[in-house]
Amino acid sequence: MNITPTALGRRTLLQRSGFGLGAFALSQLLQNESGASPLSNDPLAPKPAHFQGKAKSVIYIHMVGAPSHLDLFDFKPVLQQRNGEDCPTDLFESSKFAFVRNLPKLLGTPNDKKYEFKRCGQSGLPISNLLPNLQSVADELTLIKSLHTNEFNHGPAQMFMLSGFGRFGRPSIGSWLNYGLGTENQDLPGFVVLITGNVLGAGSPAWGSGFLPSVYQGVEFRSKGDPVLFLSNPAGVGVQSRKRIIDTVNRLNQVQLADIGDPEIATRISQYELAYRMQTSVPELMDISAEPKNIHEMYGTKPGQTSFANNCLLARRLVERGVRFVQLFDQGWDTHGSVFSRLAGKTKQVDQPIAALIKDLRVRGLLDSTLVVWSAEFGRTPFAQGTNDVGQNTKAGRDHHKDAFAVWIAGGGTKGGMSFGETDDLGYKIAENPVHVHDFNATLLHLMGINHERLTFRYQGRQYRLTDVEGQVVKDIVA
Amino acid sequence: MNRFSLFAIVLAFGLSWSSDVIAETSSFSHHISFANDVQPILRRHCYRCHGSKNQEAGLQLNQRSAAMGTADSGEPVIVKADADASLLIQRLVDEDQGDLMPLDGQPLSAKEVAVLRRWIDDGADWPDELAEAKHWAYQPIRRPETSNLATSNSPIDHFIQRRREQRGLDSSPPLDRARLIRRVSLALTGIPPTIEEIDEFIHDQSPNAYEKVVDRLLKSERYGERWAIGWLDLARYADSNGFQADQIRDNWAYRDWVIRAFNSDMPFDQFVIDQIAGDLRPDATVEQKIATGFHRMTTCNVEAGVHPEANRVNQIVDRVNTTATVFLGTTLECAQCHDHKYDPFTQQDYYQIFSYFNNTPLEVKNTSGVTWDFFGPTMDLPMGESQKNRLDSLQRQLAELEASREQVVQQSEEGFAQWLARLQEVKDQPTQWRTVKPEVFETSGGEDFQILEDGAVLLTGTVPDTVEHVFTLPAAEQPITAIKIDVLTDDAIPGKGPGRGDAQRSNIILSELTCELITDKEAIQLELQDPVADFSQTGWPVANAIDGNRKTGWAIAPQFGKPHWAAFTLASPLTLKPDSERLRITLGQFFGRGRVIGKPRISIFNGDPSLLNIAEDVIKLAAKEKLSKADRKKLRAEFDNSNPQLRQIQREIAKTKKEIEANKPDTTLVMVELEQPRETFVMIRGDYESLGDKVSPGTPAVLPKDDSIQNSGDRMEFALWLTSPKNPLLPRVTVNRWWAEIFGAGIVSTPEDFGTQGEDPSHPALLDWLANELISSGWSMKHLHKQMVMSETFQQTSRITPELLEADPENRLLACGPRFRLPAELIRDNALAISGLLSNKLHGPPIMPFQPSDIWRSVGRNQPKWVAADNENRFRRGLYVIWKRAAPYPSFINFDAPLRGSCTVNRSRSNTPLQALTLLNDPAYAEMSLAFADRVLSEAPSSGDRERLRYAVKLSVARDATDIELDLLQQLLDEERKVVLADENIIQARTKTLTAALKLRTADRAELAAWFAVANTLLNMDETMNQ
Repeated sequence: MNITPTALGRRTLLQRSGFGLGAFALSQLLQNESGASPLSNDPLAPKPAHFQGKAKSVIYIHMVGAPSHLDLFDFKPVLQQRNGEDCPTDLFESSKFAFVRNLPKLLGTPNDKKYEFKRCGQSGLPISNLLPNLQSVADELTLIKSLHTNEFNHGPAQMFMLSGFGRFGRPSIGSWLNYGLGTENQDLPGFVVLITGNVLGAGSPAWGSGFLPSVYQGVEFRSKGDPVLFLSNPAGVGVQSRKRIIDTVNRLNQVQLADIGDPEIATRISQYELAYRMQTSVPELMDISAEPKNIHEMYGTKPGQTSFANNCLLARRLVERGVRFVQLFDQGWDTHGSVFSRLAGKTKQVDQPIAALIKDLRVRGLLDSTLVVWSAEFGRTPFAQGTNDVGQNTKAGRDHHKDAFAVWIAGGGTKGGMSFGETDDLGYKIAENPVHVHDFNATLLHLMGINHERLTFRYQGRQYRLTDVEGQVVKDIVA
Repeated sequence: MNRFSLFAIVLAFGLSWSSDVIAETSSFSHHISFANDVQPILRRHCYRCHGSKNQEAGLQLNQRSAAMGTADSGEPVIVKADADASLLIQRLVDEDQGDLMPLDGQPLSAKEVAVLRRWIDDGADWPDELAEAKHWAYQPIRRPETSNLATSNSPIDHFIQRRREQRGLDSSPPLDRARLIRRVSLALTGIPPTIEEIDEFIHDQSPNAYEKVVDRLLKSERYGERWAIGWLDLARYADSNGFQADQIRDNWAYRDWVIRAFNSDMPFDQFVIDQIAGDLRPDATVEQKIATGFHRMTTCNVEAGVHPEANRVNQIVDRVNTTATVFLGTTLECAQCHDHKYDPFTQQDYYQIFSYFNNTPLEVKNTSGVTWDFFGPTMDLPMGESQKNRLDSLQRQLAELEASREQVVQQSEEGFAQWLARLQEVKDQPTQWRTVKPEVFETSGGEDFQILEDGAVLLTGTVPDTVEHVFTLPAAEQPITAIKIDVLTDDAIPGKGPGRGDAQRSNIILSELTCELITDKEAIQLELQDPVADFSQTGWPVANAIDGNRKTGWAIAPQFGKPHWAAFTLASPLTLKPDSERLRITLGQFFGRGRVIGKPRISIFNGDPSLLNIAEDVIKLAAKEKLSKADRKKLRAEFDNSNPQLRQIQREIAKTKKEIEANKPDTTLVMVELEQPRETFVMIRGDYESLGDKVSPGTPAVLPKDDSIQNSGDRMEFALWLTSPKNPLLPRVTVNRWWAEIFGAGIVSTPEDFGTQGEDPSHPALLDWLANELISSGWSMKHLHKQMVMSETFQQTSRITPELLEADPENRLLACGPRFRLPAELIRDNALAISGLLSNKLHGPPIMPFQPSDIWRSVGRNQPKWVAADNENRFRRGLYVIWKRAAPYPSFINFDAPLRGSCTVNRSRSNTPLQALTLLNDPAYAEMSLAFADRVLSEAPSSGDRERLRYAVKLSVARDATDIELDLLQQLLDEERKVVLADENIIQARTKTLTAALKLRTADRAELAAWFAVANTLLNMDETMNQ
């Protein structure tokens, strides 16, 4: 897909710049608009989808490090029974693992009320008691239990999940959508990144634009300091002075535009106006203190804090304002040791806000047009890393597992209240309906009204796409 | 809505707007040419599936005979003079015929379809010479005819003019001199001209005034720095590994090598050879080896669980792909898994080239457990004289110390024998501590206590601020030689102890320990010595407990929650008379705030105290019947360790070694060839674990061979082939990239792809002329750059008229001069130069200027910290800024700098609000604004506002300010004066510097604060950030 020039973009530009073009006749600029000229084209202007997709925006929650999906969404009674037995050799030798080298012991979900699974909602979707709030929105969730990926180290797997390629250089899914659909909000970036904990191993390439123009990359909104880098004025420069400086810059640029006629100058003028508006709109967006009490209670948010809950609420506020793609990263799920106690700790942080986000979007009528994705770079092994002392309060963890893991999506034209794909009795391999990362990404694009085979960018002589040369839309989960 | 916009994007990227389909109105103003108008469209959209390699539906559009025939369906593809009847057009516009073509991208634009229609309706003229598909880029370079040129014309202008005139366009008038010197200075050095340079040029009447400027710039050391930027993008140069553990590594010598190579105008073919195979030159120099760092820039994953061979293969893949992109403009990576889908490269070709690069060692190393570290060949850099002298002297010092240690060891041979004999004697003597249950325990703190079976006292109840615990011990039969205090943990103590005062910080502080002999008549204080403890807090050593000072003491932070002990020997052994004498030990804890012991216990020792410090296993070892050599060595080490003189020498040795480490030469990453070459196999579907047929090193079959090259089968053979005059791609690809950097876009607008899917050159003859010129000039980069900037084409004004905009929106025909935004690093360099801060220091380790906090905060081991420089390093050129792949310098990223994880041929050139915010607000730019204001106020030739404003504008954009501009700035200045004069705080805030490296000269801080606004404005002007 290529950027198509829009008349709207050009016309608005000229109106926005609030400037009589003088010798540079408006009509002459506009005359061209039916043609293929790229001039005055706003690369982030909203663009039509390939077909009617229900989802208009995405909130993509990536649990960095990879949660133990077996203990949250893919309960394996047989694994629980066989807890402590040696892992079957043929299975262990069929794949590679990051840490475990010697034949490990199987590790079942603890047979304990706290870790039990409950069949929830009308759909009876089984979800761990570690996620009591999420259990209450089970009917909104479409669980995929048969996802698999190519990479088993964090950095490459994060890149693979998010850009369809295990090394650097390809665009992230958010930038693909930003490129394919543009964004609705004039005063905010189309692709916003919110982070709790350390930045993930892949670093900023995880929201980079690869070979796509850098205008499509994600912009990190930070919870400490300026929410967007360099948003606040230098010391001693007040609002009035800032406005005066920008006005002077723009007037000087208008003089140049009249002389040189380079339309890029007109864009520059509008970017300075937007920067000025962002100085107000972004802090306003990031300030959740005006949200009503019941909202804070529902999400568990506290204004001024850095928390995953705050980021969930911000995600809703961003989507509400027309931002196309909001990416949340939450660090701390890499449980190589003490998986059960740590999982309980992490789920406690995220369960309430995620459920609140889904409910809140539903109440506001935004869930149908917002695709919520909960995923990670891979899953975790059904066997133990470290000692698995049966009957003890185990310190065992789980290693990285690329061959089968569970994620869910909600809203945005998904069926909801269903589970797709199955793993074998031990949760080791996929037993039915495998979904490769490329299939998953093809499906996400499909829900946005994008044919993943047509969302391409010509680079180095190839029509590159998010799904490389693969990817089948999982039609069964699309409403 | 027009934000985050980028007009220039098509210049940088292969989007689908035809660069050759010059904007048309409803009726085409010129004749549709198959070569210039039609074939590029077919190539861009159709050849992928209907070309030489693939003929979907039996359709082939790159051969005239096939295209004029029928498809599998039997329908005619092109019906001359009847576009509507042509299948070609129907499949593009009629959805009833199926999904619109092409299936793998957006449909063709209306204009492109119109071109095809018009061409068919006009009779579908397809010239004979283009009847067969032959890709231009693989054809030999032709020397275009230039003999009929007017003497004043450079050949460049001749080719540009020819094409321009075909489209009925005129050239633009020449730039005025001020603008010209700015444009050429930025183009060649990335630094704007000084006021003196501008004035000198303006007043230079000589006919070669401009050439003199060009020659001066080409000689400037700034030239190499400016041109290194683009090359470092190609080389994916960065200062860190990339991925999870994104540790810093030393590569910068390579960056400096590139700068030096450009500054010395190293012949470009040699520049290429050194980078691919410098290490394989006979008697390779240090510089030639540094050059091979080009292929050590590859990212490296050192996450736990990395598979070393997979990592190595990934790195070779990156080297092959990068090599093909940079030197051949070829998308060879498409042939990694299968034969190239569009271009004439096979998978066999891919692995033959792979084979040249395959003889490398692994580049990760398992250092412990699951920890992997970055590894692989490094080389010491030559040292400066003083560093060399220092290192030599340290090494001499080390040798002396080692000699004297040896001497002491020799001299103490006898002592060792005695020591050993004693150890052997004492083997039956007590070597263990014995716990003692106190006869009486007293405390001054009023706590509850309980004396436990093992002699420990557990204190509960009240927590006193300070306390004295007094143990009275029963008499013992054997002489007491040492005492030990255990401070134990217990669940009854907050945070398990050992201290009672704070569950989080359960520290204890033993201020004074006294030991007394109690007789019937008196208490005699006993002298204690040789204090030892299992652990002591920094600044709180155990010796403090017997120094007689109540204000000092022994403490154990941060090792809370664990038991600890301290032991002391009695200056002389003590034997107690059972009926009349007792030993009293007092633990004085005077720090306050409850840093008191929760569970103390006393032990005594009755043996030879010199054995106390000797581990039990050593005593056991000494007792062995027969000592092996290793046993003796171990015992000797134990003995030496107990010798204070030796310990002192050891300490000095350790210190010297540390200093030697600090003075070691810097290192850089290099390529080396394994002695035993690896075998290379085709990897089926690109998987290193599914190997196919074995392959030998070889160059791609479609490109010419050069029989004169020695068949060495290593990287040198490949490098020589790359630079062989028979290879048409290297010169074409190279001059095209240079052209793009100077003119804003390449003659081939897809500089990363000269294959069949790339764009055709807008000026094929010019491209070949330049390629030829490169070779015939002895591969001189400076010669080519000079040709380009000396052309009239370069010197035109960049004024775009509406007519021009309509006729050639991308300025492909160069009817006006180039105008485009500077790349990220030059935005900063330019602003630093304008503000007078720029440092001219060349080369060296990467620098850290100001950046906001919390940018470096990814996970991983050994993460370095960002420490902003407070010296001239703060103001050095952008290319020296440390490049951490997971978190590059943010203001560069905002201006489209790549992440450097992979080879980048062309940066995009976006225009976003984040750029505005960066230049307006980044404290680094605020600092530059302040320095700029200070410069204007202290350097402007005259002190009137108008003169100062004129000076400021000239510093910013070289030309004279217009009256309108001066009025606008004056108005701003007047308003801002009012603002600052109304509030002293504003003056303070604006003129406060964040660094000692910025020294302000202006005494009138109010003026400075007002002018800050003017400086901030000028640094944000569009013209300031444009070349």
